[in-house]
Amino acid sequence: MAAHPTRRVVLAAAAMLPLAAASGCDGADVLATPPQPAPDVALLRSAITAEQLMIARYANVLGDARNPGGGTPAGRGAAAAALTAALEPILAEHQAHLAQLRSRLVVPAGAAPSPSERSPAAPAAPAAPGAAAAFLRSAEQAAAAAMLDRLPHVPASLAQLFASISASEATHVPVLDAVILDTGRAAR
Amino acid sequence: MNSHPTPAPRSALATTAALQSALAAEHAAVYGYGVVGASLAGSRQATAVSDWVAHQVARDTLEAMLRSRGSQPVAAAVAYQLPVTVRTPGQAASLAVILEDRVATAYLGLVAQDSVSIRQFGALQVRAAALRAAAWRGSTVAFPGLPASALTAPRRQKS
Repeated sequence: MAAHPTRRVVLAAAAMLPLAAASGCDGADVLATPPQPAPDVALLRSAITAEQLMIARYANVLGDARNPGGGTPAGRGAAAAALTAALEPILAEHQAHLAQLRSRLVVPAGAAPSPSERSPAAPAAPAAPGAAAAFLRSAEQAAAAAMLDRLPHVPASLAQLFASISASEATHVPVLDAVILDTGRAAR
Repeated sequence: MNSHPTPAPRSALATTAALQSALAAEHAAVYGYGVVGASLAGSRQATAVSDWVAHQVARDTLEAMLRSRGSQPVAAAVAYQLPVTVRTPGQAASLAVILEDRVATAYLGLVAQDSVSIRQFGALQVRAAALRAAAWRGSTVAFPGLPASALTAPRRQKS
């Protein structure tokens, strides 16, 4: 038991870390191997924010695809329908990522409120289906890479979750590639 | 010189065990893809061959990593009990998905290790397995390699 502290214990240690630093403790080099609680919580929060942004991007693109502007040609409508069908399952996976990440965040009593309750501003997305898919594609690639960059600094179970989410995001790229290809063909 | 203690032997043993588990999964995948490829034709067979080669390369990499740690790599079994009967192309694709899911899970064992380079290597292999699995499955999943037991059941979220 003692060798495997619960998440709650680790986060309680995180709350105490600034005190140890303020008291002039310079054992950080020696204690490099055990989990480092403070970066762990900050990285979990940044992962949560990243997923919220991704969901906002998909919601924006799906909102445009479901309600294409008036007077659009029939081809554009078909492309928008194909885009919606491709994106909805991916959006559901991002929502599952977010729920799982949030479930790992246990906020110690008296800590600053979690940013997870505030939704980040939804970024603008291109309106054309092909451009929108390309916009999401580059966002997925960046998110997958950023998730891997968080791996070295978190405890084992969180690292596994981050690696799995990163892999899931990487698998969205070929799906979006297919959408880009299809919309390109439909436009011709 | 002695300010950096040598890694705990327990951590090194755990990493070796995780590497051996990943190698065992790769051995099974190399065997299984032989069956997958034999049941397919055309471009699907070409994909199976290319994935088969990827698993052979990964197997060789893991064997080299284990040897460099002074460990004897686990050997492949003579034959493996396949998790599904393969008579049709659809069953072949199902087997490929199962093989890739098992490989991804084994590499997540490396992601749990202390060494940063082992973690990154494991994560890249999880990604490679997830990409191959998605191609065979024809769809994506939210948590490649993570068994349901590793996921907490969060309360239902609105929106």
